Amino acid sequence: MRRIALSLAALILCSGAVPARAARDDRASALAALADVRAAVSEIVRIEDGFAVGHGAYLRAAHRAMNALVGRADDGYAAAFGDSGDGIGTLGHLDQMLDQSGSWLWTPAVQGAKANVLAAAATLQSALGEKEMENYQADLTQALASLALVVGRSGESGVLGGLDGALANTTLGVPAGAATQSGCVAPTRTPAYGVLAGQLVYVALSREDAARGLPQGISVSRVEVTGTGVVLYSPAARAASAACRRPSHLQRTRAVAGAAASATPSYTAAQAHAGIAVYRRYCLQCHGVDLQGAAGPAVAGNDFLINARRNRWTLSDMRTTIFENMPFSNPGSLSAKQYADVTAFLLAANCYSAGVEPFPQVASAALAKVKLGPVRGAKPGNRKLGTCVVR
Amino acid sequence: MFQRTTLAGLLAVFLATAFAGTAWVAAQSAWPGPDAYVAADQDAADWILPARNYSGNRYMAGAQITPANVATLKKAWTAKVDARGPLEVAPIVWKGTMYVTSSHNDVYALDAATGAVKWHFPYKPHVIAFSANRGVALGEGKVYEATLDGHLIALDATTGKPVWNVVAAHDVSNTFFTMQPVPYKNMLLLGASNGDWGGIGYLSAFDAATGRRLWDWKTIPGPGEPGHNTWSGDSWKRGGGAIWSGLAIDPATSTVYVDAGNPQPDFLGTIRKGANLYTNSMVALDLSGAKPKIKWYHQFIPHDTHDWDPAMPPVLFSGTVNGAQRSLVAAGDKGGNFWVLDAGTGALVYHLAVSTQKGQTTEPNRKGDIACPNTNGGVEFNGGSYMPDTNAFYVPSVDQCGVWKSQGTATYVSGQFYLGGAFPALSGPSTGYMNAIDIGTGKFMWRKHLAFPQIGGALSMSTGVVFTGGVDGDFAAYDAKTGAVLWHYATGMTIQAPPGSYVLGDKQYVVVGAGPAGINFADPRFNKGAPTLEGSYSHATSAAITAFTLP
Repeated sequence: MRRIALSLAALILCSGAVPARAARDDRASALAALADVRAAVSEIVRIEDGFAVGHGAYLRAAHRAMNALVGRADDGYAAAFGDSGDGIGTLGHLDQMLDQSGSWLWTPAVQGAKANVLAAAATLQSALGEKEMENYQADLTQALASLALVVGRSGESGVLGGLDGALANTTLGVPAGAATQSGCVAPTRTPAYGVLAGQLVYVALSREDAARGLPQGISVSRVEVTGTGVVLYSPAARAASAACRRPSHLQRTRAVAGAAASATPSYTAAQAHAGIAVYRRYCLQCHGVDLQGAAGPAVAGNDFLINARRNRWTLSDMRTTIFENMPFSNPGSLSAKQYADVTAFLLAANCYSAGVEPFPQVASAALAKVKLGPVRGAKPGNRKLGTCVVR
Repeated sequence: MFQRTTLAGLLAVFLATAFAGTAWVAAQSAWPGPDAYVAADQDAADWILPARNYSGNRYMAGAQITPANVATLKKAWTAKVDARGPLEVAPIVWKGTMYVTSSHNDVYALDAATGAVKWHFPYKPHVIAFSANRGVALGEGKVYEATLDGHLIALDATTGKPVWNVVAAHDVSNTFFTMQPVPYKNMLLLGASNGDWGGIGYLSAFDAATGRRLWDWKTIPGPGEPGHNTWSGDSWKRGGGAIWSGLAIDPATSTVYVDAGNPQPDFLGTIRKGANLYTNSMVALDLSGAKPKIKWYHQFIPHDTHDWDPAMPPVLFSGTVNGAQRSLVAAGDKGGNFWVLDAGTGALVYHLAVSTQKGQTTEPNRKGDIACPNTNGGVEFNGGSYMPDTNAFYVPSVDQCGVWKSQGTATYVSGQFYLGGAFPALSGPSTGYMNAIDIGTGKFMWRKHLAFPQIGGALSMSTGVVFTGGVDGDFAAYDAKTGAVLWHYATGMTIQAPPGSYVLGDKQYVVVGAGPAGINFADPRFNKGAPTLEGSYSHATSAAITAFTLP
């Protein structure tokens, strides 16, 4: 059992890292993202298989895994512990891939991979605060499960395929600058990349190139030997070839607006202070004295903010939930001032900075421009939960 | 020191996905096999399915506890569990070990004789809207739990260590699980809770050995499927119809009975004109082929705009109707309706209101109007049970009215409620009933009006005793013929869980979980004398499983 486990770990870990290029090369970014995932997994596996004892060694492993996943630019990066990834981090590579105005067949898989990386990061963050080994171990197990989903499997496309599936079955697997041709037509030269409606149908290589080794990231469901070389069909080829026989139903992909810089919320310290009493009286029973949820969900800290970012919540969404749907047992029953105060309290607890402009009592279109997520440069009073104390 | 088995177990996930179909754990005869589930009724010592048997009927033949001796019932032990949220668990008991879960998916193995904790599996899921879990499934050496963060987890039943862990929800941003998975042949059947968050309901089957998904059955018909034209425009894409509370199985005919919940957006019907199939319906599915096929459906409330899900899990039973023996299936919804259908055809046999009903056909408007029951009203998720000895069905209900408002529009926000309005506020008193319905006539045999809502299901025993618990924490034994309260015990916490029973060392035990009130059943009458808080109180900050036995 252990031998199988180790050789499987080797399967995941054994792959060379491909350095990112300065010009857009999404395939290279995906391969680099995977390499960083493998680096993070190796940190976790190494600490499991080693005989190190002591809290310090386990914290170091969790920090190094986190570093490989989030990259230098992220607040979660702790440089002092070192980084077996490439410094850009899986998140850095995925963000580069998603930061463009087009949207591709592989975009949902990459978005799903990013969500799973964020989930793993949240779990690692939690691990850093654990005192009991049992809980630390449970967190690492959960993080590994999330990372398994980031890697995915090459036989599936869509979100379930993860990065492996996207590389094997979509145009993500085509190297930058390579010419492509219709996947419905046999290759006319080598190398050739046959594509159809965003799917990668085949990679055709000359005999010499094939003998040197298969390109990274492809998965072969069928091989055809031709006069000039070999044609390697992807797992998506069968479904794609059915489409070749029908009038094309090219999948419409929605253009995704370029990521604009997010505005920040405004509220005053006086509002947040007044909101403490509102929270205690109307919200605490369901959302907990530590704002981490009890019967209801968390409303501040890592759990809340990372989920808010993953779901792309704006301040307008947050306002609607609070002003119109809460308290859960008597929605809309508080005054506009009470709602504004408690919203300010929650923003403060989430480590947003107070300012001169109060949080408005009436709805405002500007709120929709504020995207919620972990605050850069925040210094949470409670590091484990990621919440700030409100006075 | 870490245990390597955990990592090895987790890497088994990679193995299972890389080499599909590999059987992972060798079968052990110490655990219930497929035949044991079919024959669960004959095993008084154990309780291996959520509602005791595949029929979903919490009924025990040949009990030690009788109307004459139930007054002597005393507490045998109490086991405290995590109290972050309400306790809804139906305990599973097998050969002296009890398996329970708490609101945030912790799993406990308890010694069923003493309540001592044998092992504890902690969990910290992200919570989308509220926390609840109704228990585990027991399989070949493993217990299985479906979680609030959309996973299905297999634990070693002896040690509590994870064996495999899969993402079972299609969209973890708007879907979670509260239901117990149900073992059937080599599968685990599981319904998703996504009925108020903008998804389409589905029932899934997973391979019990690996967690691999075998099939899904969606409750909203897509383009080209029968019933698709009961949805105007594109509204079917976020139509709801979650199968979230439970299911019943007839193994002889390979039929599974499920209830699909409310349509969405819950309170805004104008954007989804039509009957909205198969929401608010019972559906009988034929599982004899590779994929489920509909045998029949019966829609209880077409075009529901009040979130009046048929929350009660279906109960299959053979009852006497007007002198003739018939195969029947019972249902109950949050609109305060109790239904009895023909199990073979879905034809209506009886319909009875078990809560105050008002404004049933008025859609919520922007000004607000009063309708009854409230969203926590009617018959809730622990359902009831049938007793052949009295030919009666015992089911508790909730009596509440609410003020309903729609917002005129519904916007989908990933991870948020998709309602087209807000949940209604309570208007007027909040009370409950214990109902006994004569299946011979479809009328009440008796009913008791109680001061607090009753959502604790019903455990009936052939000797003539029916157990249930109220949200005030009162756990009571009723005389099945008359409704007289023969015994009761104040747990001091809220009871939102159904009772169970098992025999150990020749003694019969009755067991029930109780805990905090949660977001739905907090009540200003709790904590009298405490400093007043406007809005809701929580009843308790503790949660526990309590077992009772005769002296």
